[in-house]
Amino acid sequence: MPEAILKVKKLSKSYGEVKAVDNISFEVKKGEIFGILGPNGAGKTTTLEMLETLRSIDSGSASINGIDVASSPYEIRGVIGVQPQTPGFQDRTKLTEIIQMFAAAYGEKVNPKQFLEEVNLGDKANSYVEQLSGGQKQRFSIVTALVHNPKVFFLDEPTTGLDPQARRNLWELIEELKKRGISVILTTHYMEEAQMLCDRIAIMDNGKIIALDTPKALIKALLKRGFTKKQEIEKANLEDVFIDLTGKELGRDS
Amino acid sequence: MKYLVFIIAALIVFRIIRVIIKRTLNNRQTDPNDTKLNLPPWALKLYTVWVFFVVNLKRVFRDRVALFFTFLFPLIFLFVFGSLSHSGHVSYRVALINESHTALANEYQNSLKNDKTFNISKSATTISEANQSMSRGEIDVIIELPPGFGKLNSNGIPSGDAVINYSQSNAQEAQALSSIMQSQFDSITNRFVKVEKPLKVVSKVTNKYSLTAFDYTFTGLLGFAVLGSGIFGPMNVFPELKKMGILRRLHTTPLRVWQFFLSNMIGQAITGLMSLAAMIAVAVGIYNLKVVGDYITLTAFLAIGIVLILGIGLALGGWAKNERQVAPLGNIIVFPMMFLTGVFFPRYLMPQWLQSVTNYMPLTPVIDGARMILTQGKSLLDLGPQLAVMGVWMVIIYAIAFRVFRWE
Repeated sequence: MPEAILKVKKLSKSYGEVKAVDNISFEVKKGEIFGILGPNGAGKTTTLEMLETLRSIDSGSASINGIDVASSPYEIRGVIGVQPQTPGFQDRTKLTEIIQMFAAAYGEKVNPKQFLEEVNLGDKANSYVEQLSGGQKQRFSIVTALVHNPKVFFLDEPTTGLDPQARRNLWELIEELKKRGISVILTTHYMEEAQMLCDRIAIMDNGKIIALDTPKALIKALLKRGFTKKQEIEKANLEDVFIDLTGKELGRDS
Repeated sequence: MKYLVFIIAALIVFRIIRVIIKRTLNNRQTDPNDTKLNLPPWALKLYTVWVFFVVNLKRVFRDRVALFFTFLFPLIFLFVFGSLSHSGHVSYRVALINESHTALANEYQNSLKNDKTFNISKSATTISEANQSMSRGEIDVIIELPPGFGKLNSNGIPSGDAVINYSQSNAQEAQALSSIMQSQFDSITNRFVKVEKPLKVVSKVTNKYSLTAFDYTFTGLLGFAVLGSGIFGPMNVFPELKKMGILRRLHTTPLRVWQFFLSNMIGQAITGLMSLAAMIAVAVGIYNLKVVGDYITLTAFLAIGIVLILGIGLALGGWAKNERQVAPLGNIIVFPMMFLTGVFFPRYLMPQWLQSVTNYMPLTPVIDGARMILTQGKSLLDLGPQLAVMGVWMVIIYAIAFRVFRWE
């Protein structure tokens, strides 16, 4: 049983009267992919932002790699990688230059080409960010958050707005992070994404965690309660058709 | 010679920095897994600043709009104001009608052509043409050398009366010209008749340097360029970076606000100085600006001024969540400075109380100091009062800028 790298205890955050995050606790192990699901306004993003040191913590505690989030934000930033919902980069800057800048922000110097090749962007090294497609931008954004070898990686709705190919490509990338021993914490609205990727899932509603387990265990528990799906399970769905017809390979500009 | 030493020293420093960077790069290649730079912590923090500065500087030179506003826009202002106030010293537009053609009359005509005080019209060659020209306001006065001017009189000495024709509205110019010409005639008369005048006016140079209208305008334009790029630059760029989530993303790295500010300060100082250097080169080359002071002093002083004014832009842009929020505030700060600190209007034209108030605005000591270096050759030690005001503002402005900065 690997040790927990991220520990959250009774974490809370209020905006005025509204309790955005209400007394939640969970742990994430080394090399685990941990999903946070929930409807809009459930507190997923606020939770992530508190762990990313972007929001102050009202009460409770959180620690990553043994470092307390509230009291040592700069050290925390050194061990986490963050992929925002909509990655933005300054224009007229080459991909290699942006990677150099992010590495420099951590006081490091890296070989940008090597990082770009890891995500199939080697031939775009001298392009500007504004010349990338949505999927390429997502992959590039992940690479900029890997320059310092983070221990925990946060992704906020990483696949929203991507085409199925780019989405599958991103899933592979996330699996790759897991293989490197990086713990991944992601939020998503896509249930099949959570089911395929995540080792464990927390479902949030109204700021509270209302369920936390592996996808399999959650489904089993539901069936145990006597749930049956109205429709017979299909052997293939429309996405399978789409992927079959258009190929699993990445589109030329995705 | 001094400048040569300065340039060589700058090149050597640049070279050393490059070698250090190359060295760190080579260290990397021997151990590809070790991405940590072999530098003490304070140097690592400055290395971050350096990389941000270099990448952003490259970015400025790729941005045509930024280039236009940094380099061309101030030059356009310089051309407009330069041609308005170029002449430098007083000259009168005159028509010279020589109807005499004696040796003396011709000699006098030639001497006026070479005199910068007399701007002789080429088109008006007859009295009637000249009168029309004067009624249109194209010339100030008509100088007429009537037939017989300069002919020898009974004593064998050239004599005659030159006539100045003027219109009522040009009485002042006519008055001034008649006394100028009277003194010219006195010195000519002296060649023929030695007369010792008991009362004389003797003029002596006491002040080595005095400001021409252009010299005065020019430092104001320097101030205008510093103000424009220092405040409007970050005021427009930062809210844009926030809108795109770029600053928010940087906020998830250990980057500190001071590192971000410092890289901006160095970048602004470099591009600002380049832009001001272009203005000074044009002013010296085209408008005969006389630079009395020392370029190294001027560079150091202007760099401080640029960083000071940039602080206002950093505070505004760092505070603002979007452009709409910051535009009115920016205008409230920029416009009074434009009109009260001597950018467009000389401050000596203001009433005393307004001068004593505007003395303490942040841009005033920058413009005054630059003027004192450029036209009077003052050193940084002489500029103590200016530097003191700038220093106090520097502390206030940057304290505010750091306090109000927001990453998103």
